[in-house]
Amino acid sequence: MSGSLSYFGAGRHVSNLEVVSRAAGVGGLGLLAVIVALNNVIARAPAGATYIAKRLLPPGSDAVMGSDALGRDIMSETVHALAVSFSSAAVSTAIAIFIGALAGFAAVRLPLRMGAAVRVISGILRMIPTLFLAVVLVALSSREFFAISVGLAICPEVFNAGFDRASSLARSRHAMYARASGIPGLTLLRRDLVYELRMNIVNVTGRALASSATILATISFFGFGAIPPHRDLGLLIAEAQTSYLSNWWCALFPALALVVLVLCARLAATDDSGQPS
Amino acid sequence: MWRIWLLAAAQFLGSLVGAILLVSLLPVIAHPPDGLWPFVTELAERFLKIGSGDFGRSAAGSPAMTSAWAAFPLTVQLLGLGVALALLMGISLGFLLSAPRAIRAAAPLLQIVTSVPVFLVGLALIWVATPSFHVITSADEPDLALSIMVRHGDWNSAWSAYFLPALTIGVAGAAHLQMSLRRAAAAAWMAPYRSGLRMMGLGLLDINLRFALPEIIAALLRDARGFILTLISATAIAEWIFHRNGAAVLFLNATASHDWAMATATLLLFAVFTLIVGFVGDLLASFIVPEDTL
Repeated sequence: MSGSLSYFGAGRHVSNLEVVSRAAGVGGLGLLAVIVALNNVIARAPAGATYIAKRLLPPGSDAVMGSDALGRDIMSETVHALAVSFSSAAVSTAIAIFIGALAGFAAVRLPLRMGAAVRVISGILRMIPTLFLAVVLVALSSREFFAISVGLAICPEVFNAGFDRASSLARSRHAMYARASGIPGLTLLRRDLVYELRMNIVNVTGRALASSATILATISFFGFGAIPPHRDLGLLIAEAQTSYLSNWWCALFPALALVVLVLCARLAATDDSGQPS
Repeated sequence: MWRIWLLAAAQFLGSLVGAILLVSLLPVIAHPPDGLWPFVTELAERFLKIGSGDFGRSAAGSPAMTSAWAAFPLTVQLLGLGVALALLMGISLGFLLSAPRAIRAAAPLLQIVTSVPVFLVGLALIWVATPSFHVITSADEPDLALSIMVRHGDWNSAWSAYFLPALTIGVAGAAHLQMSLRRAAAAAWMAPYRSGLRMMGLGLLDINLRFALPEIIAALLRDARGFILTLISATAIAEWIFHRNGAAVLFLNATASHDWAMATATLLLFAVFTLIVGFVGDLLASFIVPEDTL
């Protein structure tokens, strides 16, 4: 399974670990997507349904993952919350990739060094932690748009990475040859984009998905994110915060679901050294 | 060298002006005036006011920057303890895992560990500390300085008020640091000069100590801004979970209640702090490995 990928003339060794990690990550995300799509079938109770089981029932035959103080089935709630978290993270990721990554890639070729100016603005935005930026954007808009706000908050980071990558490509040998032989800039951009999409889209998407899922859960934990009854994993954990010391199952299963979601996204973005690139 | 420092100073000043402009935008966007010209006028007015240190009054009626500045030392104390723990854990972990074989073996475990969001780390620490060490974290604890707690031997309060939050921040910082260290080490191990120096007869230890180590340290210093951003986010989470009234929680509460004067003041403090750390990191890196560009 080990091999070598030729990318812009440079051979990149792909280890077995990278192949296995990526397969596990993409497979895990696929499985989560199926669970999310079938959440109403898999969950035995609708979202937010109270007194389905006895109050604060520990995991057992009556409730696989136990129940909370309002008699809600933790397994059903976790599956529904995972659906909200996953779909919100997908929206944020799509925004981050389309506005951040693609714009960053295209900005390098803007005339009059406009791209460099945008990169400076984006650099200034990077002086503020992404979490703070997301909180500010949610407060300036509305909690209903929290997924869009998080997507926009991640954009500067993704934009900078895309811009720097495209800058190095624009200075590369193949670009110099192309310019010298009269190939238009737009054709060169299209060619670089095609290669970038083919080689790095899973990496970029995985990284953005992991960041989105983490930030969405954190701002929901703070109370800036999901609005009940559409509770996501962060809000589910925040609600369990008052009782989890004695009733650990109320927080543990949503927390595990969140960790699995982030882990799958990070595994999908694993590079050769076995860490997210 | 002077050219690099002047460039860094110019970048610092430009970023500072950009940060002031950015935070000036917040209250104007929150209550936008009708029309482009009134918008620009109000933005310019805000920019000049904030530039001269006038952030306005918070919702509580006190000068916003005074309140933000009063809460900042607690955040800096937590950050400082977090940095110490992050350096301790991150550097040792990073060096241990920098060898190619170790990377292969530890990668899956590290992926799982670094996938845990920081707020879950904080909650897990409380879960472990409460029954095991009888540490109680509550919102009613007074905001005493760490030195006073230690002097009075109040270790329980010191644990819940400082060490557990600092450990949460430290874990987040360590995760960032070990990743930067491994990236820097991987780049240094693959540098083309290594084979040339080996052919010239230099030993591996010599090459690593004289050439690879300075490059690794310089790469870490250049990443100081990213490191401090991770720590600031982790501090906000730690302050929230452990009920500490620092500047990060002040920012979150101010933003939630749309108190834009306070949000602006706290945000600018964090932006300037990040800027200074990044600037110092870049300067120190240019001392260690002089480069044409910062």
